[in-house]
Amino acid sequence: MADMVKFTIDGKEVEAPAGELLVDAAKRIGINIPVFCSHPKLDPLGACRMCLVEVEGRRGRQLVTSCTTPVSEGLVVYYDSERARAARAGTLELLLINHPLDCPICDKGGECPLQDQAMEHGNGESHFVEEKHHKNKRYPISDWIMLDQERCVVCWRCIRYLDEWEDKPQLGLYHRGGETVIDIAPGHPLDAKTSGNIVEMCPVGALTSRVSRFSYRPWELSHTDSLCTHCALGCNVRVDTRLNQVKRLLARENPAVNDQWLCDKGRFAFGYMQHESRLTQPLLRKNGTLQPASWEEALDAVTAKLVEASKQPQRVAAIGSAKVSNEANYLLQKFFRQYVHSNNIDFRHGSDIATAGRGIPSIAEFEKADLFVLFGVDMAENIPVLDLFLKRAVNRRHAKVLLINSRRVEDSRYGTLLQPAPGEEVLLLNGLSAALLKDEAIAKRAGRLSGYKAWLADMVSEPTAKLNLSESDFGGAVAMLRRAQRPLFLYGEAVAGGKSGAANVTALTNLALLLGAVDRVGYLPYDANAQGARDMGVLPDRLPGQIVLSDASAVSRLQRQWGGTVPAEPGLTYLGMLQAAAQGELDFLYVMGSDPAAEGMSEALQKVGFLVVSDLFLTETAKLADVVLPAADYVESDGTFTNLERRVQRAPKAVRAPGRAAPDWLILTHLAQRWPVVEEIKDPKRKKRGHGRTPNIWSYASPQDVLQEIARVVPMYAGLTWDALGDAGQQWPAEALPLRPRLQSVTLPTLSRRSFTHWLIAERVLYDAGQLFATTEQGHNLIMAPAVHINSHDLATASLAVGQEIQVTSPHGSVRLPLLVDENVSPGTLFVPLGLAGAPAEQLLDGQYGPVPARIEAVA
Amino acid sequence: MSGLKELVESTQQLAQAMKITLKAAIEPPLTVESPVEPIAVYPRFRGRHELRRYENGMERCIGCALCEAACPTGAIHVEAAENTEEERHSPGERYAKVYEVNLLRCILCRDCVRACPTEAIILGRNYALANYHRQDFILTKEDLLNPPEPNVIIRVKE
Repeated sequence: MADMVKFTIDGKEVEAPAGELLVDAAKRIGINIPVFCSHPKLDPLGACRMCLVEVEGRRGRQLVTSCTTPVSEGLVVYYDSERARAARAGTLELLLINHPLDCPICDKGGECPLQDQAMEHGNGESHFVEEKHHKNKRYPISDWIMLDQERCVVCWRCIRYLDEWEDKPQLGLYHRGGETVIDIAPGHPLDAKTSGNIVEMCPVGALTSRVSRFSYRPWELSHTDSLCTHCALGCNVRVDTRLNQVKRLLARENPAVNDQWLCDKGRFAFGYMQHESRLTQPLLRKNGTLQPASWEEALDAVTAKLVEASKQPQRVAAIGSAKVSNEANYLLQKFFRQYVHSNNIDFRHGSDIATAGRGIPSIAEFEKADLFVLFGVDMAENIPVLDLFLKRAVNRRHAKVLLINSRRVEDSRYGTLLQPAPGEEVLLLNGLSAALLKDEAIAKRAGRLSGYKAWLADMVSEPTAKLNLSESDFGGAVAMLRRAQRPLFLYGEAVAGGKSGAANVTALTNLALLLGAVDRVGYLPYDANAQGARDMGVLPDRLPGQIVLSDASAVSRLQRQWGGTVPAEPGLTYLGMLQAAAQGELDFLYVMGSDPAAEGMSEALQKVGFLVVSDLFLTETAKLADVVLPAADYVESDGTFTNLERRVQRAPKAVRAPGRAAPDWLILTHLAQRWPVVEEIKDPKRKKRGHGRTPNIWSYASPQDVLQEIARVVPMYAGLTWDALGDAGQQWPAEALPLRPRLQSVTLPTLSRRSFTHWLIAERVLYDAGQLFATTEQGHNLIMAPAVHINSHDLATASLAVGQEIQVTSPHGSVRLPLLVDENVSPGTLFVPLGLAGAPAEQLLDGQYGPVPARIEAVA
Repeated sequence: MSGLKELVESTQQLAQAMKITLKAAIEPPLTVESPVEPIAVYPRFRGRHELRRYENGMERCIGCALCEAACPTGAIHVEAAENTEEERHSPGERYAKVYEVNLLRCILCRDCVRACPTEAIILGRNYALANYHRQDFILTKEDLLNPPEPNVIIRVKE
């Protein structure tokens, strides 16, 4: 605790920690000193002079800026003195000399600090009658943001944000005096992934959003405290709506999650919520085409088919989604386990990913860790807000970063990058472990496992030569690991899936174990509710609470709560289901909020006996379906989501669903109520025989009822009711899912390129062509164009020209793509982002996890 | 004698009354055939809303929705949009894409007129606001920009 000092302000004695800024200390006792440039998340600057107060100094009373003056013992401050008031009114008058006063057409008008302070502290009249300076008024500085230089009061908040947090100084000050303007470097629009935050920070209407430009006035909006569901971080947002339409999203402060930031995708890409292509009524396949139907018809059709198919439950499957709420996922798996008796339940990136199922230790850990080991993680591209915290840790606390990635990513500029070729990650990690074991203290920790040590030494000799790494990079990485007091290991879906996934994760866990940091190994998923879907038991071998099927006491507890019996055999995984579908072994498939057909699986899905899809749009999968159920989006229904640090958060309803779309929990409840078991239970002839054997009837009236049941059934969600979650959410402790970590030998994954020349790497990018992003018109320019990224070295060897259309072939497919030189891609690999128009990467992967072998050749 | 006096007096009264009657018979009638014929209103009388234009034909309204905010009955609905070079409605960056006045709610208080920063919305002299369908009481932007010539005459000060 800092030393406390006493000072007076307008004769009032105040106690504050030494070094606190005057403006903050005054705020705590209710004196709101007006500010423009000062911001709690930015370093003090004193640019706008709005916060002038008088301070008793050695040379008498003098005016100082309270946003740069720390409090000290015995300081005498006058806020409400005549001179201070006149100084502030004068400053305001100067700021307004060139301000256009076009408040009626300004998007900030109504929530503008300049308006408010002019009313509170201004003279109401100006001495200046001269012509105002004219500057750029309608000046786009990126696809998202419009700049009006005339309105700017040159407070530098935007410049400082981009510099201090984003670490991309893309805005600067140009010219002098009254001519001073904020501008971008000519021809270089802002491309920071969190640039939208400067719109929210701007204290005037100089920076405004182009997405919601002129579409609302602040006073007519209704506010709902909700979440962003574009990625797994679960940033807190405020959804502003008018007349049942979402008008804008603002960051909502939650120090435990997103601080007060939001990325541009989260802030601006909400066009999908009210897009005209949303499904508004159920569709039923009649005579080969999908035709509008009533809910009754559609649900009856689904029930009839499912009842029949459930006679062979192993031929029935359900795909959940990491993009929909806990409630929907819970009911999906409950319906299929309890009524259909099938464990064929999974979601994309579910059980096919090797993870301990605990996400990351906590987001707060980013403020403590001194070494970040990023294994197959591209945070700048996939979780931009979390990346801000990494940048902050590096720039402010001098934390170190060690990246293990086959591709150079944006965060590579903060540390050492080791680039193993695909399939050699385990060798590299084991090499690092072996090098660490030469350290006595570390060897002692691994002491009892001499077998492991011997195996490791045996396996990795001269890793640098094998891996083609520079000795200094490798040595630097080892030194970094050895010195780390509090390392944080993070791995992503790029390395945790596929054939080598389990080996990769085990090798990383071994490394963490040697450093005594096994509880600081975290998995960074992509999708909003990837953690929640796991917790809800949308996995073929796990029940709600991630309970394994062999845990007899937990299973019998669940059976008591649900009634009926739970199938004992593990079901098919996501990829397993699609393989089974391709073999024609699935009679019924229920797909909720997922689009496997867009991943090149449409052939397999065509062979499914009866396909039911519930989604927002007529997706590729929905086009193949026999019944399409229009689902409600997360802003159209109450629901909870669990983010990557296991924080369960609320997303309440903000608008009505379009047309007759309904939330997934309600669709599933209606399906359950049509199930024949209901009649069986109501049958008066039914004796009291084995009451527990009959499944209970569902009677949920609201998502809150479902959450209440989740809180009863899922051990780590105990007590997490709608009210208990509150506005900030609640994190379930990682200890609730104990690990039994031990050093394990890892079999090297056998990946072979066979006759192919390259490895194809496919990873997600922020601005993809998926429906959740491409439906926002303003973002169209930002969507990555389909192309194959290749290193210039490989380009020269293959004697191909830039921009040329080439044929990319993998064992699973072949596509034509333009060529793009990208030095971030290492030689011997090709990079094709996932989710682009025409799904080129998905066609090449055909449902497999990367990397896959590939070759390129010129189009004849 | 009294009989004669009565006769004279009553004849006088009859003549007086007939004079009024005959005078009224040749005077034009007072009844106005509204709405076919105009009604004389006082100079300060205000009726149906109108949106004005500048002399060059540009709309004055910038879609700022201050009228909507000022309206005590929620009778006005505005949705703004941005002018483009190809499609320019008003001089600045912003114009009203949707502008609706619900006459069933409006109490003709003139707060919208006072709130308007560009003197775009005014209350005109049209008082003939009756209609057959509820939806016809909603004035669209089209109705407001092209008000029918009001069928009124303004009273001259007497």
